[in-house]
Amino acid sequence: MSFTQEVEALSGQRVNLCFQCSKCSSSCPMADWMDLKPAQVVHNIRLGREQVVLNSAAIWYCVGCETCTERCPQGVEPAALMNAARVLAVRKGIQPRIPEVAIYYRGFVDNMRLFGRIHDVSLVAITRLLAGHLFDDLPLALQLLKRGRLGAPPLPTEGTSFRRLYGHVQQREKALR
Amino acid sequence: MKYGYYPGCSLKGISVEYDLSIRNLFQRLGVEMEELPEWICCGTLAAPSTSRLLGLATPLWNMAQAVRAGYEQVISPCSACLYHFKAAQHKLHVEPDLHPEVEAVIGLPLNGRPKVVHPLEVLSATEFEAVIRRSVVQDLSGLKAVCYYGCHISRPARVMQFDDAENPQSMDRLLRWAGIQALDWSGKVDCCGANFSLIKPAVVIDLGRRIFEAAKAAGAEAIVVACPMCHANLDTREQEIEAKFNTHYGMPVLYFSQVLGLAMGVPESGLGFRKHLVDPRPMLNTKCRCFGS
Repeated sequence: MSFTQEVEALSGQRVNLCFQCSKCSSSCPMADWMDLKPAQVVHNIRLGREQVVLNSAAIWYCVGCETCTERCPQGVEPAALMNAARVLAVRKGIQPRIPEVAIYYRGFVDNMRLFGRIHDVSLVAITRLLAGHLFDDLPLALQLLKRGRLGAPPLPTEGTSFRRLYGHVQQREKALR
Repeated sequence: MKYGYYPGCSLKGISVEYDLSIRNLFQRLGVEMEELPEWICCGTLAAPSTSRLLGLATPLWNMAQAVRAGYEQVISPCSACLYHFKAAQHKLHVEPDLHPEVEAVIGLPLNGRPKVVHPLEVLSATEFEAVIRRSVVQDLSGLKAVCYYGCHISRPARVMQFDDAENPQSMDRLLRWAGIQALDWSGKVDCCGANFSLIKPAVVIDLGRRIFEAAKAAGAEAIVVACPMCHANLDTREQEIEAKFNTHYGMPVLYFSQVLGLAMGVPESGLGFRKHLVDPRPMLNTKCRCFGS
């Protein structure tokens, strides 16, 4: 299966519907930080340029606000294409161009495996520690603590349901490969 | 009908005052809801960015629990959770081939599909207009606010199927029923930067500044929100934005449930205004003298 077909299958999209009007790029709140703009990501997927897409910072800057999806006159969902590209990058072992994102997403899923729910304090502390910016938001954290907005973590037993679900997903995906 | 209630992780942590004020508001309005007996994180963007199957199975596991507990409708006050539930349901609807795969990993049948709703969808229904108007005990007609909807309350329309994706009105309507001035403005559906607050705060500081600037230009004294992430990104970063751009907003960011609760006489202890980093009480006191002097 070609790269274009892989992305289309994962996202349920047809990239050839795109006529490059760039409405997605002009709507995107993250476009200022992106190396490739959303319309360029869509076009590079169409051209099958796997390395360009999977190594771009753009796919990691997308926060899924769905403004592009809402406004595309052709009914393409660029946010879904970005998401599929992220999944393929993870699957192919490509390091995200923004290392903090990889650390954050990994830490997020680990937090779910531990508690079943997200415990914000431990998630932030761990991701900050691994990214080497542990003390960046310390004054902010203290203000939140003072106002009772930082809670104690749930018991790790709360994570049992998610750990079971996560295990089933991993088994299933191994079997499919 | 009794609603199921899925608070989501934020409402158990950084946004406890949203949980508190929603529960008190609904109780005051006589809308019955119960927290789902079992729930896990919806997965947000992290699960679907890791694996498609995980990204579908995590929200749908919660929906299967809601069906098992007998709820036809589930209230989700976090618009990110709301979106991930509805997006997963929509994906299975347009790609039914995925159904057996997801069902196999969840281990529960996915028959029945609870309708997930934002509290704004429940309360902005026309039958609530009279109820809300007659519940108002506190005159807040001097308060000028802008309603900030953020990304997912109505976007994308094909998935969310509520309100208008480009110019939503439900929250404005609710505030007006409660006698508050809801101003028109350009920032309603802009993005706050979501999880980049924890990844690259500079992104959120820049996007937040645009939102505060638009609110200020419209003449607002407060931004009213309906999502814990919108609230966190604006309230916790406002002072940094002011410092970085050498400006002053001093603009409180309030949950719609807090301002409606205030108008309906819910006491401060049931609304949690003191939890905010930008304390709204001094500004609110100039409107209603609700908090002593």
